[in-house]
Amino acid sequence: MLELKQLSRSFGGVKALDQLDLSVRKGEILGLIGPNGSGKSTTVNLIAGLYKPSGGSLAFKGVDLAQRGTHERAALGIARTFQNIRLFANLSVWQNVWAARVVRDVGWTGLRKRWLSSGRAARDEVQELLEFSGLAGKSDMLAGNLAFGEQRRLELARAAASGAELLLLDEPAAGMNAEEIDELDDRIRSLRDQGRTILLIEHHMELVMAVCDRIAVLNFGRKIAEGTPAHVQNDAAVRAAYLGSEDTATA
Amino acid sequence: MDFYLGLAQVIGVHTLLGLSAWCVLHTGQVSLAQGGFFAIGAYTSGMLTTMAGWPLGVALPAAAIISAAVAVAVGFPALRVKGLMLVVATMAFAEIVRLVFFNLTWRINTPAGLVGPDGSLGFGGIRYFPSNGWSSVEILALVWGLVALVMLALAWLDRSRIGTLWRAVGEDEVAAQSVGINLTAAKVSAFGIGGAIAGLSGSIFSHYATHIEHSNFTILLATFAIAYPILGGLSSLWGTVLAVIFIQGFLIEGLRFLGDWRSLLFGALILLVMLLRPNGMISSPISRWFARSGGSATPTPKDKAHA
Repeated sequence: MLELKQLSRSFGGVKALDQLDLSVRKGEILGLIGPNGSGKSTTVNLIAGLYKPSGGSLAFKGVDLAQRGTHERAALGIARTFQNIRLFANLSVWQNVWAARVVRDVGWTGLRKRWLSSGRAARDEVQELLEFSGLAGKSDMLAGNLAFGEQRRLELARAAASGAELLLLDEPAAGMNAEEIDELDDRIRSLRDQGRTILLIEHHMELVMAVCDRIAVLNFGRKIAEGTPAHVQNDAAVRAAYLGSEDTATA
Repeated sequence: MDFYLGLAQVIGVHTLLGLSAWCVLHTGQVSLAQGGFFAIGAYTSGMLTTMAGWPLGVALPAAAIISAAVAVAVGFPALRVKGLMLVVATMAFAEIVRLVFFNLTWRINTPAGLVGPDGSLGFGGIRYFPSNGWSSVEILALVWGLVALVMLALAWLDRSRIGTLWRAVGEDEVAAQSVGINLTAAKVSAFGIGGAIAGLSGSIFSHYATHIEHSNFTILLATFAIAYPILGGLSSLWGTVLAVIFIQGFLIEGLRFLGDWRSLLFGALILLVMLLRPNGMISSPISRWFARSGGSATPTPKDKAHA
C-alpha cells in the first residue's frame, strides 16, 4: 500500500534517515520502533509531506507522492496524529472531527462536490467516531479544555474522520497510563478491523509487541531489523541498539 | 441631528470594513490590505457612477467584484508568507494602491461637467446621492441594510463548512493541512470575500463623502479595519459591530476634546485588550451562550490569541 524506496533525509550534515526501504501492506499494523533520534518521526513527516526527502521515493497505492502537498496526501487517504498533540484548540470537539470530515466533500472552492448533500451521512459518521472515542458526551466542549488522554483520542478520531486508509500514529501512547494504553490497544485493533492500515510509532514496547503484525526497527536512520514481534525481540542487532552492547543482552 | 446621522453612516461603513478584516482574521492572517481594497472599491464605484453613468445598484456589486478579484490576485503570492512578513507585504500593497490613486488623473467630460480622479487633488463630484435626491435617512438605511445583509451572509458562512475550515486553518495550519485542508484555497477564499466586503464598504464611503482622495486611505484606515475584529473577538460578528461603535462613537467622536491624545488612547486600548482579553472584548463563553443558549457551552480559561 505504501512503498518507501531508498528514502533519505538529511538535516545539514546529519543523516536523519538513510536509504530506508519499507513497505506497508494493506490491512496490517506495522510498528516502527527505535531509540530516540533514530528517524521514526522523520519518516512520518516524510510520508505526511511536512518534509521533502533528500533522496529516494515514496508511493502510496501506486501514486508517486513526491510532488504531492500534505493536503493532497490526506485526500489520497493518508492521515496522522502528532507526537505533540495538535488540535484545533478553540473549536469544539465536534467541530474538530467535522472539519476533517467535511473537507472530503468540500473541494477546492467549497462549492464543488456534493455541496449541499451528504450532510446527514457526514453527521452520523462524526457522531459514530465520537462515540468510538468515548467523547460523544463532550462534543460541545472546546478541544483545548479536554484532559490529555481525551485530546489524544480526539486527534485519533479526527485523523480517522478524514477518510484515512493509512493512519500514521506518532507515539499515541505517550503520557498515557496503563488503563488508557489498554483502551488504545483495542481502539487501534478496531480501526484496523474497519479496514484501515496502521503505521504505529511507539516507545511503549508492551503495546507495540501486543498490537503489531510486523515491526521495523530503526537505529541512526537505518533499518536494522524487520519482522514479526517475536523475530524482532530476539534479533541481536535490535538488542544491541536498545541495550548498548551484545554482552549485556540478558533480558 | 445631522451629526448623528453622519456618525451612524460612518459607523455603518466602518462596520463593513471591520467585517472584511474579520473574514481574513478567521484564517489566522493579519492583513493591512483591507484599506487598499476599500480604496479600490471607493474609486471604482465612484468612476462607474460619475464617468460611466451607471446606477449605484450596479456599480456597488461591480466594485465589490473588482475588489475581490484584486484580493484573489494579490492573495495567491501574499498568503505564501506568514505572520509579520504578511503584515509587511499587505501594508506595501495598500501603499501601492494609495500611490496609484495619488497619481491617477483621468478626467472626462460628462453632462455634469468635467469629472474623474484628479491625482493628488482627489476625486470630487461623486454626486449620485444628491443628484438623485437621496435624503440622509435613505442613505443611512442603505448603509445599514448592507451591513445587515453582509452580517447575515457571514453568519451563514461561519456556520457552514467553509467557516469551519477557515477556523481550523486559523487554529493550526499544520494540523489543518494534515486532515486535507488546502491552505491556499482557505486563505485566498477568505481574502477574496474580505476584499469584496471592503470594496463594498469603500463604495458607500465614496458616495456619501462625494469627494475622496488618497489621504483617506492611509495605513490608519487599515489599522482601524484590523482593530475592530481584534477588539471585538472572532467568536461573534456582534463583537466587531460593538467595537466599531465603541471606537468611532466613543473614542473618536466622544473624546474629540482630547485632540491627538486620542491616538495614544487607541493604541493603549488595543494593547490592554490583547493582554487582558486575548479573544476580544466579547469572549467565547458569552457569545456561545448567545449562539446556543441551553447548550453545554464551557468557559475557556486557556483562550488563545488569534493575532
